[in-house]
Amino acid sequence: MATGAVTAPRPQASDRARRAATERSRGENRLGWKLVAPAVVMMLLVTAYPMFRALYLSLYKYRLTAPEDREFVGLNNYLAVLTDSLWWIDVGNTVFIMVVTVAVELVIGFAFAMVMHRLIFARGVVRTSILIPYGIITVVSAFAWQFAFSLNNGFVNGWLPFVGDDFNWFGSKWPALFAICVSEIWKTTPFMSLLLLAGLSQISEDMLEAAKVDGATWWQRLWKVIIPNMRAAIMVAVLFRALDAFRIFDNIYVMTRGAQGTESASFLTYRQVIEQFELGIGSALSVLLFLSVMLIAFLLVKLFRVDLAAARQEG
Amino acid sequence: MRTKVGQGIGLVLILLWCLFPVAWIFSLSFKSVEEAAAGSPQFLPKDPTLDTYREVLANDDFQRALINSFGISLIATTLSVILATLAAYAIARLDFTGKRVVLSIALAIAMFPVVSLVGPLFDQWRVLGLFDTWPGLIIPYMSFTLPLAIWTLSAFFREIPWEMEQAAQVDGATAWQAFRKVIVPLAAPGVFTAAILTFFFAWNDFVFGISLTSTTDARPVPAQLAFFVGPDQFNAPTSTLAAASMMVTVPIIIIVLLFQRKIVAGLTSGAVKG
Amino acid sequence: MGRPEPVTASRRKHPRRRQVALGMVAVIASSLLAACGGGDSGKPTLTWYINPDPTAPDDFKGTFGQAGIAERCSTDQYTVETELLPQSATEQRIQLLRRLAAEDTSIDLMSLDPVFTAEFADAGYLAPVPANASEGVLQGAVEGASWDGKLVAAPLWANTQVLWYRKSLAEAARLDMSQPVTWDQVIDAAVENKGTVGVQANKYEGYVVWINALITSAGGAIITETDKGADAAVGVDSEAGTVAAGIVEKLANSSAAQADISVSNEGTVIPYLGEKASDPGGFMVNWTFIYATVKGGDEAVFKDLGWARYPQSVEGKESRPPIGGINIGISAFSENSDLATQAVECITSEENQIQYAIETGNMPASEATYDSEALKEQFPTDLLELFRESIDTAGPRPPSPYWNTVVSAVLSKWHPPSQVDEQTTPQETATFINAVLDGDALV
Repeated sequence: MATGAVTAPRPQASDRARRAATERSRGENRLGWKLVAPAVVMMLLVTAYPMFRALYLSLYKYRLTAPEDREFVGLNNYLAVLTDSLWWIDVGNTVFIMVVTVAVELVIGFAFAMVMHRLIFARGVVRTSILIPYGIITVVSAFAWQFAFSLNNGFVNGWLPFVGDDFNWFGSKWPALFAICVSEIWKTTPFMSLLLLAGLSQISEDMLEAAKVDGATWWQRLWKVIIPNMRAAIMVAVLFRALDAFRIFDNIYVMTRGAQGTESASFLTYRQVIEQFELGIGSALSVLLFLSVMLIAFLLVKLFRVDLAAARQEG
Repeated sequence: MRTKVGQGIGLVLILLWCLFPVAWIFSLSFKSVEEAAAGSPQFLPKDPTLDTYREVLANDDFQRALINSFGISLIATTLSVILATLAAYAIARLDFTGKRVVLSIALAIAMFPVVSLVGPLFDQWRVLGLFDTWPGLIIPYMSFTLPLAIWTLSAFFREIPWEMEQAAQVDGATAWQAFRKVIVPLAAPGVFTAAILTFFFAWNDFVFGISLTSTTDARPVPAQLAFFVGPDQFNAPTSTLAAASMMVTVPIIIIVLLFQRKIVAGLTSGAVKG
Repeated sequence: MGRPEPVTASRRKHPRRRQVALGMVAVIASSLLAACGGGDSGKPTLTWYINPDPTAPDDFKGTFGQAGIAERCSTDQYTVETELLPQSATEQRIQLLRRLAAEDTSIDLMSLDPVFTAEFADAGYLAPVPANASEGVLQGAVEGASWDGKLVAAPLWANTQVLWYRKSLAEAARLDMSQPVTWDQVIDAAVENKGTVGVQANKYEGYVVWINALITSAGGAIITETDKGADAAVGVDSEAGTVAAGIVEKLANSSAAQADISVSNEGTVIPYLGEKASDPGGFMVNWTFIYATVKGGDEAVFKDLGWARYPQSVEGKESRPPIGGINIGISAFSENSDLATQAVECITSEENQIQYAIETGNMPASEATYDSEALKEQFPTDLLELFRESIDTAGPRPPSPYWNTVVSAVLSKWHPPSQVDEQTTPQETATFINAVLDGDALV
């Protein structure tokens, strides 16, 4: 731990001091890279090579069970995917799930965060219970809600007054998507609310008091003081959750297996690669899926005008 | 008074939200297989039974899956936290070029669509002989938990008053003593939090679990749940699945009960402050 | 599955082939191997990947189902061990294909569904089975285990579908069940008497079983010339296809359809047969296991249970019932294929087929076994005869290496069943299957 002088002010005066500083920063550079290298290698090991391989395979027509029929087809796989209605339907579903779940989670999560922020008693109990959905396995959450909505074993039909007892939630597209969204929202709202809680606790009470003295209503305080001051927290929460929701797979796999047109882009990719062993077109899908995620991340970051890495370094 | 009532209502709503579905699975797990197969739409079991738990416990393959899940998750967590600690220390404490690159890589990987990897990874793993082995799952788990661990840990490390280490050395402690007595206790909560969050990720994984395994040699619990067979061969037995689900949720509940404070701190510091 | 030493077993299956350059990996791997411990015994182990059997009854003694067969077929020379596959046929195929594509030597024997037997054979994953394995086997079962005119796997048991019904309902509808009935008659009878017609129409392979039976019964085929692989001829857009679509359309949009028809499978349809005598119940096409299932339920319902040959698609044209079951394949990558060949002879022997049928209700594939006294004790003679005849004259799904792709293509046009239109669906399906097989469309 000999290099513990980062916080020292940058030397500015003499040349000698500057040279010493360069010397030191070079050493620091080396040590820094030595320390991060294993982690970086590990992260890239599983992602970089497979991604390049996917790029390469995506240019071939290649079915794992018929390797001798493999042939180079250029960008045809991409063309086939991008002109296919199934891809666009699935992307539509994915975006729909992403928008709906994140929007609902944001509202409910915010309400939860407000309650938790103000709560003076039972904080441990609330914290414990809110972490249970967060920690529970997604597959288990999907099972729980699938059974709850099921025709034979679910209580939902019996409890909801406007739904007939023989209503089949998984029988058509929108009710099935609804059930999938419920499972997703249930499991991830706590995560959202915890991120928002952290943002809430950074707002100074003085500012709120001042607004109160100025005669601002609760509503005005919420929109004029609380939310603008939580922008960073909201941004991070939305970004994390949106990208997570865009990759939705487990819930769909368990609840509908993609039937009734509830397939997501991830699920489509999985089916092509793992179920149909179509490594060529499946790899093209993988690449497109990756590009979509990057695009969404880019759009969100631009939209909220927050530079994550910069925000991160300022701590 | 009014706020107290409001808080009470809010509290009840949160508790209902969080615990009701768990209660549902819990209740379901006490229905007999026959009752569930015949259709049993009411919330509570007609005739509560422990048979489902007995069946799950007697299932050798499920036990193997539990061992796999625990083993793989623990090893992945340990290794991931060690690597993340080194990296996070460098990021929090050292000034080196490319720091932003590292953080960006971590962020990009945290966002990576896992499904787009399983194809090529499966291909690569079968060539390397890693398919259906513990390391075959440990490696991807590490890759995907490292970003979260690095972010959480570097946020923690930035809060540590490192001057205290020097102060201790001035007071006559050796470098090692200073590190062990001063820094380790301060850093431990962060490391611990990162470990718990990493463990949750590995424990939760499904995509790798179903794609990179094919026998009980390495198959983790979430994937094993697809192997329960009901009385009619064509449908998974609802209540047995519920019992198995409860059993894999119990460790989560225990961890949450013991460490809720730390997890909350880790979740919020790692993500928001940055 | 009684696997007393899973750790030792797994070690034996994975000789040290973890040669990975990365030190990290090596460390993990070696620590794992060290943890495994255990030693090898000289006797080779044949690993048999089996599909799940039904749950053994509580009073069952000994080892049940295929695990029981494995135990009986272990000899002084080798031990047969079982490894369980997932519950759905689709998942079974994926698990096996993944390992076989990796040329994994840890599989010796496997229980194959007829629908993917052809695909495995075409990919070169199957070693030859004993030459006499097709002797005395019912015709439908042989077809389901053949590819390119050769038997590629040995049938262990054969499944078929018949029309199960409530006698009281048929009586109320004045339907003469001693004569072959048509789908039209059955649907009309159910509608008039507030009954249901149970089918399997979830978005899964089982729905294509139904569609295939409707089409073959009408004299057509979903695809032909399957030996051309991806260039097979598509036959959905035909009169037979139109007849089939018409039946699906009629049933799905009638009051005789189950409420959950679009997610129904072999298990979910059972309650529609009625749980007690006063329920109107219904008709249902389903596999042979229904007899045992209903026998274990309400006594009055069981007394009221009738069976008949699979309904006709076109009046007067003999129906071609679906066929399923399990064939035993030998992996082309097995290091013990000679021993595995011996084991297959034992596994599919008549004695084992009979005992397996008695334990599980899964019917034998070999013709002679239907005359055995043991089976006659378990099943009514007329039912056994119906099963035998059904299997012998079944209309198998076309054996094609691309069957899985065809299934997905058919499903994407025929699901949900209520959207099927006899005017347009067959033609759209044909166009789509062609596009998918050419790699021009996603499915």
